[in-house]
Amino acid sequence: MTCAEVRENLIVCWGDADELSAEVMAHLADCDECRLEAMLLRETRIMLRALPDEQAPVGLTDGVLARLADEETQPGLLGRVAAWFVPEDQPAWARATAVGVALALAVAGGSVLYHGQQPAGNGPDTVVATTQGQVPGQAEYDELLLRHRALEASQALADDPGVTLVTYYR
Amino acid sequence: MAKAATLSQAEIEGFVERAKRGDKRAFGRLVDEYKDKIYSYVSRMLGDPYEAEDVTQEAFVRAYRSLPRFRGASSFHTWLYRIASNLAIDVVRRRRRNDVSAFSLDEPLESDDGEYEREIADDSGGPEDATGTRETQVAVRRAIMDLPEKLRDVMILYELQGETYEDIAEILDVPLGTVKSRLFNARNQLKERLQSLVEAGEIEVEQ
Repeated sequence: MTCAEVRENLIVCWGDADELSAEVMAHLADCDECRLEAMLLRETRIMLRALPDEQAPVGLTDGVLARLADEETQPGLLGRVAAWFVPEDQPAWARATAVGVALALAVAGGSVLYHGQQPAGNGPDTVVATTQGQVPGQAEYDELLLRHRALEASQALADDPGVTLVTYYR
Repeated sequence: MAKAATLSQAEIEGFVERAKRGDKRAFGRLVDEYKDKIYSYVSRMLGDPYEAEDVTQEAFVRAYRSLPRFRGASSFHTWLYRIASNLAIDVVRRRRRNDVSAFSLDEPLESDDGEYEREIADDSGGPEDATGTRETQVAVRRAIMDLPEKLRDVMILYELQGETYEDIAEILDVPLGTVKSRLFNARNQLKERLQSLVEAGEIEVEQ
């Protein structure tokens, strides 16, 4: 066996002699470099397995339940609609695509997104989306998300029937 | 490795069904069951326990919102892992776009009262081992964080979280062969990174 073939075998079993074939063991008996590779792999595994368990912080469950309880007092329908439209367990590209579609539908349906400035001529209860159906870039998304969260916390918004928020995930 | 589950599969399925019907207490029981596993995974992916707490919480919140869509085609825990994985990968990519390095375990934390050192749990044998063990753990964590996220993901899920190849393939939505290939490359790269630290004298191994 060549050193390259032996090293592939070593990586697969972390250099554990109990899992190596007689052919590999014979090579290791005569090859200092491969023997060193085997030792390094064994040590790497030992160091990995020596990492302590990570425990979730105290209060994490309560924090989750508190957030869910808070969401119940917010206009939650859009959040649930968005969750149906933008699956949380899908990869980022699929969610980003769904974001663009949701945005286009929201604008077409008369719902609008807050963008921080009200264009002249619009009433106080109407704001205009900036992206007009295009998927926002990361910086714009981050800014819109922050503003959206601020609006969610705004009592004035909760009382205002003229504004609809669309929440999108990325 | 994360602690073993305490609920049976039937109990988990029961709590999932109740949570789907809006029973938050049942969902809380699921959070209790999986929080260590998910937090552990996210913390190791991000290298920042504080951000990991936020992301873990967000993962569970999003899972609750998406429960109506969970049909049981995959197991609940792989589905949960997938949500957490997507969130963690998003953070990693956002950091890269913003050119933000992973939080260093060695850097002191800032608070209103000034700086204080971050403490890491240490289960070493005694005080004479503490420094070496801690340094090795920091080195290993740093080496894991240096892996590309696709390799880091598989390395953590298989070597540290104890997930099977099949479950990892389901979590990451990749073929089984891809899981094995990434794990192979992850082991090799991790070994090389630690080898360079050994050669630089930053960590010691017994020969």
